[in-house]
This record gives sequence, C-alpha cells and structure tokens, in this order.
Amino acid sequence: MKLKHCLLAATSTVALVGAASTPALAEDSYIIGVMSAQSGYLAPYDGPAYAGFQFCIDEINAAGGLNGTLPVELIVEDTRSDIAVGVQVVQEMLDQGAQFIVSSADADPTIAAAQITLPDGVPTMTFAGTAPVLTQVGEHVFGSYPADNQQGAVLATYARDQGFEKVWLMKSPDSAYTLGGPEYFGTAFESLGGEVLGTSLYSLNQPDFSAIVTTIAAADPAPDVIVTWAWEPDFPAFIRALRGAGVDTQVMGGDVLDTPTVRGLGEVVDGVVHTSGGFPDEGSQYADFIARFEAATGTTPDNNYYVNGCDIAYMIETAVEAAGSTDPRAVAAAMAEIENGDGIMSDYTFKGTDRMPLRDVVVARITGGGEKEFILRAAANPDILPDP
Amino acid sequence: MSAPLATLPGRLRAANLAQTVVCLCLLGLVVGALILLFGRTGERIAVLMSVNVAAVVALGVFCGNTGIVSFGHGAFMLLGAYTSGILTMSASLQRSALPNLPGFLAGHELSLLTVTPIVALAGLGLAAASGSAIARLAGASATIATLGLLIILHSLAVGARDITRGSQTFYGITRITDVLPILAVALAFIVIARLYRESRWGLMARAVRDDAAAAEALGINPRRTRFIAWCLSGTMAALAGALYGHMLGAYSPASFYLSLVFAQVAMLIVGGMTSVSGAVTGVITVSLLQDGVRRLEGGITVLGVELPAVFGLTTVSLGIAILLIIWLRPAGIIGGQELGPSPDARLLAGLGARTPAAPAPQTRKTAVLQAEGLSKSFAGVHAVSEAGLSAPTGTITGLIGPNGAGKSTLVNLLTRAYDADRGSAAFGGADLLTTRRDGIAGLGVARTFQNLRLFDDLTVYENVLVSAIAAGHGGQAAAGIALRELAAFELGEVASQRAGALPYGARKRLEIARAVAQDPGIILLDEPAAGMNPAETEDLADRLIRVVEERGTGMLLIDHDLRFVNRLSTRIVVMNRGAVIAEGSPDAIRADARVIEAYVGRGRTAAQAHETGQSRDPNRNPEPFAGEEAVP
Repeated sequence: MKLKHCLLAATSTVALVGAASTPALAEDSYIIGVMSAQSGYLAPYDGPAYAGFQFCIDEINAAGGLNGTLPVELIVEDTRSDIAVGVQVVQEMLDQGAQFIVSSADADPTIAAAQITLPDGVPTMTFAGTAPVLTQVGEHVFGSYPADNQQGAVLATYARDQGFEKVWLMKSPDSAYTLGGPEYFGTAFESLGGEVLGTSLYSLNQPDFSAIVTTIAAADPAPDVIVTWAWEPDFPAFIRALRGAGVDTQVMGGDVLDTPTVRGLGEVVDGVVHTSGGFPDEGSQYADFIARFEAATGTTPDNNYYVNGCDIAYMIETAVEAAGSTDPRAVAAAMAEIENGDGIMSDYTFKGTDRMPLRDVVVARITGGGEKEFILRAAANPDILPDP
Repeated sequence: MSAPLATLPGRLRAANLAQTVVCLCLLGLVVGALILLFGRTGERIAVLMSVNVAAVVALGVFCGNTGIVSFGHGAFMLLGAYTSGILTMSASLQRSALPNLPGFLAGHELSLLTVTPIVALAGLGLAAASGSAIARLAGASATIATLGLLIILHSLAVGARDITRGSQTFYGITRITDVLPILAVALAFIVIARLYRESRWGLMARAVRDDAAAAEALGINPRRTRFIAWCLSGTMAALAGALYGHMLGAYSPASFYLSLVFAQVAMLIVGGMTSVSGAVTGVITVSLLQDGVRRLEGGITVLGVELPAVFGLTTVSLGIAILLIIWLRPAGIIGGQELGPSPDARLLAGLGARTPAAPAPQTRKTAVLQAEGLSKSFAGVHAVSEAGLSAPTGTITGLIGPNGAGKSTLVNLLTRAYDADRGSAAFGGADLLTTRRDGIAGLGVARTFQNLRLFDDLTVYENVLVSAIAAGHGGQAAAGIALRELAAFELGEVASQRAGALPYGARKRLEIARAVAQDPGIILLDEPAAGMNPAETEDLADRLIRVVEERGTGMLLIDHDLRFVNRLSTRIVVMNRGAVIAEGSPDAIRADARVIEAYVGRGRTAAQAHETGQSRDPNRNPEPFAGEEAVP
C-alpha cells in the first residue's frame, strides 16, 4: 500500500507542478509558439526542423534578437503527432501571447492550428508540410518548403527532358503526400506531352509489393519511368521487389527519398532520382550552415529539414522587419509580399503565390555507393504547375 | 447489524444514484478545479478531457458490459465527425472545399443541435449493420472483428474523396471551444452509461460477459445483449466523434485511426474497464498525467534550478503508468465496483423502502421430462448411447453412475449445450431438441453446472435478480423473487457481495438459488453437493426437498454422494458407459446386479471388494450402497 501511495503522490505532484508551470514571458520580446512532434509519425520531420529552427533563433538572439533589437522567446510544445494535443497547445500558445506559430510538418495539424489562429490573424507557418492545400484556410497561413506540385512539375520536366514518354504512377491514398505527389507529376507530365500508362495503389506499411511489381513488369507497352512518393518502409520494400523481379526501369520519387536510410539500400537504389529542397554545394550558404551547426551541436544535418527550419527563423525576421511592427496581421501581410527572399536552403518568393513559397527544387540521383549526386536546380514552370 | 434484506433493492437504487452523483461530481470538480486554478489553460485541458470522457464512457458501455475490447469505436467517431462536419459546414466553404459533394449532402448548414439526432441515427445505423456480425463473436475474435470495422471505415473514408476529401485534411468545421456544452455531453453520457449498466439489458450483458453458457441456460440470448450494448455504445461514440471533430475543427481519417483508438482503450484500462467511474477516472488520470508531464518536458525552472527539455517524457510516462497500473491493480484504478457508497454503506442503512419478497410460486402442473434414444459421440467415442429416462415434476429423480458414464453429457444434450446425434427429448410435451439453447429455460428446464458457473463479477443479489429478469419478470417482481430465493438459501447476509468472493458452499447454494429463481418445472442439478462437507450436504438436501414439496418442482439429480441421492430420490436412473443400465426405486437399484457390477466390476460382489479392497478404479466406489458413503 505504501508503494501505491507513493506512486499516487508522485503522479499527482507531477501533474500539479506541470499544470502550474507556465513559462514567464518577457513583454519586450517576440513570442513564437512552436508545435513540435517529438514522437509519432511526424517526429522524423519535426525533430530536425525544430533543431535547425532553434539553432538559428539562438543565432538571432545572440545578435540581439530579430533585426538586432527584438529578442525572440520560444514556447515549444510536444504534440506527440496527436492532432487533438496540437489543437490544445496552439490555443495555449495564443493564450500565452504567441505572435507567430510554427506548426508541425504536415497538413492536418497545420490546418487545425491555422483555424485557431485565423480570428486574430496570427501568422502560421508549417515546418515542412508540402500539401499545397494547407494554405487555403486563410491569408495568415504559409508553407515553407517547396510544395508537392512544384516538386512534381520540376521532376516531370526533368523526366521529359530525358526523353521519357510513358510513366507508371504508384500512389497511396492513405496520405495527402503519397497521393498528391504522383498525381501532380502525372498532370505536369501530361501537360508536357507525356502519357500516364497506368497507376497502382498501395497502402502505407504494405509489406508485400510483388503484385504491383508483377503488374508493372507485365505492362505492355512498358513504362519508361516509374514515379512514386512512397516513403520508408514502403519505398525500400517496393524497390527491392522491383529490382528483384528484374525490372530495371528508371524510378523517380519525392523529397522523402532524401534520407541516409534510402541511400544506404545499396545496388537497388543505384540511379534512383528524387526531388529535394536543396543541395549543399561547396561554398554555398547551405554548406556553411552545415559546418556551423556541426561545430555548435556535434550533429551533422543529414536532411533538408534542419536547414529549412533555420530558413523559417530568418523568414520571420525578414517579415517582421518588412512589417515594421509585430502586429500579427501586418507580419502576415509583409510575409506574403516577400519576393526573392534570401534563404539558406534556397531563395523564396511568397509574392504572387497562394503563400506556398516558390523555391527552387533540386533533382538529385542516388548512387550505388550510397552517395547523392546533384543533377539540377530549377523553379517550377508556372505554365505546367498543377493546381493544388 | 446489517440492514434488512428487504431494503436491499431500495438501498441498491440509492447506492446507484449516489455512485452516479459521485461520478458526475468527480468530473465536475476536476473541470472546475482546472478552470479555477489555471484559467484558460485549465479550460483547454478540461475541454479535451471532457471530450475524451464522452468517448471513453461510450467505449465502456460496450467493453465494460460485454468484456470485449473494441478497437472499432474509431469508426463510429469518424462517421459522427464527418456527418456532423459536412452537415454543419457553411455552404460557401463547402463549395470550395468539397466541390463534388453529392447534392443530398450539400448546403444544409445545420445547427449543432439539429445535427445531433442525425449523427445519432448514423451511428445507430452503422452499429446495427455491423453489430449483427460482431455480436455473434466473443473474446479475441470479436476484438479482431471490431478492428476490421475500423479498417473498413477508414478505407471508405479515404476512398470517398468527394465527401471526405480523402486523406487530405477536412477543414472549416465549426469549432466548439467552450467547456460547458462539452462537459454537459460528458455528464449526460455518464448518466446514460450508468442507467444502461443497471438496466435489465446491462445486467444481462454483464451476466453474459461473466459466463455466456450459464447466461444462455437462464434464457439470456448473448447475441442480443451484445447487439444492444454495441448499438448504444456505437450511437454514443458517433456523438462523441462529432464532438471531437468540432473541437478539432480540422481532421482527416487518420485522426480517428489506431493511435486515437489505442489511447482511448488505454484510458479505459487504466481506470477500470468494467465500471463507468473507471472510465471517467482513467480519462482524468491520463489527461492530468500527460498534461502535467507535457509541461515539464519543455524544460522549466523549479526553485531556481533550470531543468533541461526532455521531449518524449509524455509518452514514456503514460507507458510507465499503464505498466504500473496493470501490475498493481490489474482491474484498473477503480476496479469492477463503481466509485461511491455500496448498498451496505452505513450512510444508506436507513434508506430504501422495503421490497416485499415474492410469495412462493404456485405449485406446478405435472409434467414429465422425457428422453428417448439419445446418442452422442465425440470423435468416435460414444459418450451417450441410446439413453432414455423420464423425470416428472414434483419428485426428485436421481441419475448416478461411475465417472465417465455420460451423466453430464446427457444433461448437456437435454439443455442443448451439445447437439444430440439421435434421439428425442421433451418436457411437458415441448420438444427440447429443436429449441435454441437460450430457449430451454423458457420451456421450464433449468440447470446447474458440474463446474460452478456463477456470474463472478455480479453481486449475489444480481446473480439471482438477472435470473428472474431472464425468466420474464419486471423490475419490482424480479427483485421480490430474488429476495425470496436469497432468503430461502440463506444468502441474505452476503447479498451485496461479489459472487466470486463467496466461500464454496455459498457459491453452490447461490447457483441453485439462481436456477430456482426462474420457477422452473424441472431443474437438472449436476453434482450440487460435490465438495461440500456432510453438514452442508444435509442442509442442501433439506432445502431441495423443501423446494420440491412447496413448489412442485421436479429435479434430475446427479451426484456421486449416493447417500445424498438415495435420501432425496424417489427414483434412480443408473448409467454406465453412456447407456442407461437400470432404473427404479432406490431399494431396487441397491439390489441390482448390473449396478453393482458397474461400480465394483464384473465377477465381484460388494462384500468381496470390501474384503480385498481391490478396487482398481479409484473413481469407482468400492462399496456403493452398503455404507452409503460419499465418494470423494
């Protein structure tokens, strides 16, 4: 019984101390609320994005704050990838005076957050959500990463330039990303005179891709290229099954293939082409960011979410400076007017868009040795950019 | 001195009311304290907590009362959220967000109150459609079926892109941010769940949960009770889903999938699955724990010491809490009993009008249980072979035989627990073998089981009450009957105890009291005295004789205690190796060579066996009738 009482007491104490502890926020600072899923399906994206964001906010604060004058205070809350917790923490952040919300890297939590920030017009920017639909909630919602339709259009242009004429799409209706990416690719590919030969559907975490591989292998005429926005563990399972069946058709995918795990798959991914948000060319700002981050934290950023998180910090600084005020609506309006903003991963333009930034998309190729080769960097051609 | 038995039904009603009030107050107080102490932050926590209470209480209506863990309630929540979302959405937003929405769903712009009955009907419709399949199953297979329902609904929602936007975010839903309406729904759900739990259908569902075979023998249809629990629970879950959707404002099918369902099942298990206060306590505990830890994990300053940010603590702490609770309190924090005073509480001693015990039932008309040519084989072994007997009402017919003679199998054939291969059986002219298992009781045939089958998590009173209810009696009448039988079998003192907590002898008496409460024409008693000491056996014999004499009930009595059988029985039927080898008066049976041979062995006499003490089969009584000793 003693043990039970101790446990009960400990639990109650934790709950009460926790509930009572609200961080004291200074009045002469800019308060940014950060939804960051540290566990669950969003953790692989929110984690690095938050690390990069925090790193650059620290840099900004070390230099005196936003534009050297306005220190930034962060309210960071773990949402556990749970949309209900996300809703709760955004409300709390607003209660605590958040003037800007950085939301999780997916459409669901970002849209849910944006509906809460809508009445006061508090600018809300997603860490790395790429579904172009997410900015439709209101004029205060912003993307930060090149949207799926931009990635699809750039990849389709590259594919047509390589002389590919027939594509096989493999998509999963289980998420907006795995469904939207191949569809945007297909639309742009057809605009450029290509043909969508066929489509296969898969489920997230599907263990066996042999049926899909058999269908593709038996397609007559055979496709020139297979496009999927599948992520792990689906992509590794698919590519192994495909190559195992002796199908050596070119495979292309979305930016989610830009991970060390996929590159580490060896021979089966040799030659796979994918989009990416940026590429750390030697001497670039991106390479410099990696060096600074590594020196400060001992961690090597191995995906683009780190640098994109950092870019968000500087986007906010730019918008606040342009607004000349911290008024939420003024900051949102200023953000929407940014043209050719200086970004570390790539430059960005909100002006003239529906607030999904126009950013260069990188196309890269994976080598059998586990390396990533730069192919090209391009902005999406507005003439063939599919509608959200 | 305990309160008189006659006031038990009244005290029970008062206790139920008090327990419901305690549960309502618990939630109300926690919500009030959160708001008072932490202002708007507290209100935010209270909103999510109240939505979760509504959802988990809805889940508990099915899981708690049927004992089947459901992962399918996410399907109802999804249905409720999308139904309510579509029908309440502003027409202009609907045109842009859902341009291909079918005409019959478009442009309704209903208010939240108007949409409520529609959501409830949608939930009920899905529950009725899925329940006919799920209610047939029990245990793990039922759980897997509920998971199947979730997967089907999730896939349909993802596929129906014109209606749901597929896997994309469904947004623009009217948000409810005020705690009061949400709290009101949660409180209403607690009341509904408590009313159902104590209703005849709730009681029967709990009886089926504890022992489906025993419930069927009382005439309770397990499928129907599970179906009703599923329908009510599904309807409530659809409403909770609508509430959840309006709290979120934006969601996708993934919002109602496994992670949500697992979290809610975890809350239910933490609090205690079988009680409404368990569901409420589980939600409160998990919510406060998670919210408290969430605030700590971002890093705080305590007494000048800055603690670093450690993300992931929330998930870890919930995992540890579940492990600790399963270890320390396997039945959950609250356990099986509702929070609040029990009917025996001093507080309620003076309450409760006296419920008169029902008068002794009319003496039954004479009828005969008649079986002919019954046969049953299991994998080629003839357990019962061409067995026949007749047992009239108003007397006790003994059925004896060595172990493995087929006595219990015969009872199982008569009560349809097994399907007979051949033969016929009727009671009072009604054919037993074409009757469903749960219809046997309705023909006037009750039974007890060789291995005690009580409803262990029901109270003693409820065990007998549910029997009377299953026999078709209304609330007051059933209560009167239960009191009568509890008094007749001297179980009044322990009436509000859990049946599972009774000593063995009392459990045996309870099983008989439960059978007698149906006022059956005949009771098939399968080893009622097994394990009893001589005094208890004597006492039981007296009670059985009284039942037969006062009510004209017949009994078919199986027992190995031959003195007990001889004392009670007018006639005795003897079985060996699946066949009836003799029947007649106790005296005739005592002298029957075939019977002695069955017990002692071919070529021996009782005296020889006694002299040599060489009974090869320890289960055979070496001296079946000479000393009339009980066989262990």
